[in-house]
Amino acid sequence: LLRSMLPRTFASATGRNVLRSASQVRASSTTQYVPGGPIIKGTVNDPIEFPPPSRTHGSYHWVFERLLAASLIPMTAAAFVTSESSYPVLDGLLGLSLVMHSHIGFDSMIVDYVHKRKFPILGPVMTWTLRTAMVGVLVGVYQFNTNDIGLTELIAKVWTA
Amino acid sequence: MMSARIGLGSVTRRVAFAPVIGRNQIALRTLILKRGVQIQSLPPSASEEILNAQRLKRPSSPHFTIYQPQLTWLSSIANRATGGALSALLYGFSLAYLVAPDTFTSVNIVEFVAGLPDYLKYTGKLILAAPFTFHFWNGLRHLSWDMGKLLSLKGAYRAGYAVLGATAISTVALVLM
Repeated sequence: LLRSMLPRTFASATGRNVLRSASQVRASSTTQYVPGGPIIKGTVNDPIEFPPPSRTHGSYHWVFERLLAASLIPMTAAAFVTSESSYPVLDGLLGLSLVMHSHIGFDSMIVDYVHKRKFPILGPVMTWTLRTAMVGVLVGVYQFNTNDIGLTELIAKVWTA
Repeated sequence: MMSARIGLGSVTRRVAFAPVIGRNQIALRTLILKRGVQIQSLPPSASEEILNAQRLKRPSSPHFTIYQPQLTWLSSIANRATGGALSALLYGFSLAYLVAPDTFTSVNIVEFVAGLPDYLKYTGKLILAAPFTFHFWNGLRHLSWDMGKLLSLKGAYRAGYAVLGATAISTVALVLM
């Protein structure tokens, strides 16, 4: 019974094993019959297709995101108390971690609000815009930290200006 | 006792075996459009398109416009909004520096800010400090949930109020710095 309920979610899994009625075979090769009715792709009645299980996009991503956020706490505190020109490596690490943290945050906003399932053009466009922006921001942060005083020093100076 | 025959059997038999002239009159009357209804002939496969088109036009009931404001979801969306705003600032400045490094040097920026009137400086500090501190403290609250702590309603609310208090205190501290 359990195996018969699973195929409904993973559409491609069990089409082969089920007897097809004559009408389904005649209709088209894309309609697939599973217990519960035919799955006609491309309509609003499509069952949701789950992404293939992958640790890289699943649990490892989650753990990485939390570890990154946790690492930002001591780095921010350290940036607060030290003078950044003496610790450029810390400044660079902080800049990199901030950009990664922002990227993950923006990406989850895109996935939540403009998922490509509902926005087949806008979703991927936003994703690639974000990736391009991240590359630009990384280069900009590197340039600023190298050729100028660095992010934390800038914030400190602007704050007390 | 039912002596009368019920059903349409006799009527249909009468119509079927009616004289030819009578039958044509019935046929002619159905041909003449009495009400002017236009009927468009469609294949059965068009029903899916019509259904989908109708579904696109259907309104959705109000959901997040009527949901009672609660600390849980308000703090969640505020965390996302503040994070997004701060990140947009970071991205904007970095891209601006990449595109025009001579305009956005630290010297220019510090000079520009130093030239602003005091009230603008305090307002600017407030606008920058409040989202940052809120995102920071709420981030701590979020990380504690990720570790499995404070996941009850009471715990989440207490931590939420603590976050609001800490935000207020640290914002004031930062603005006065």
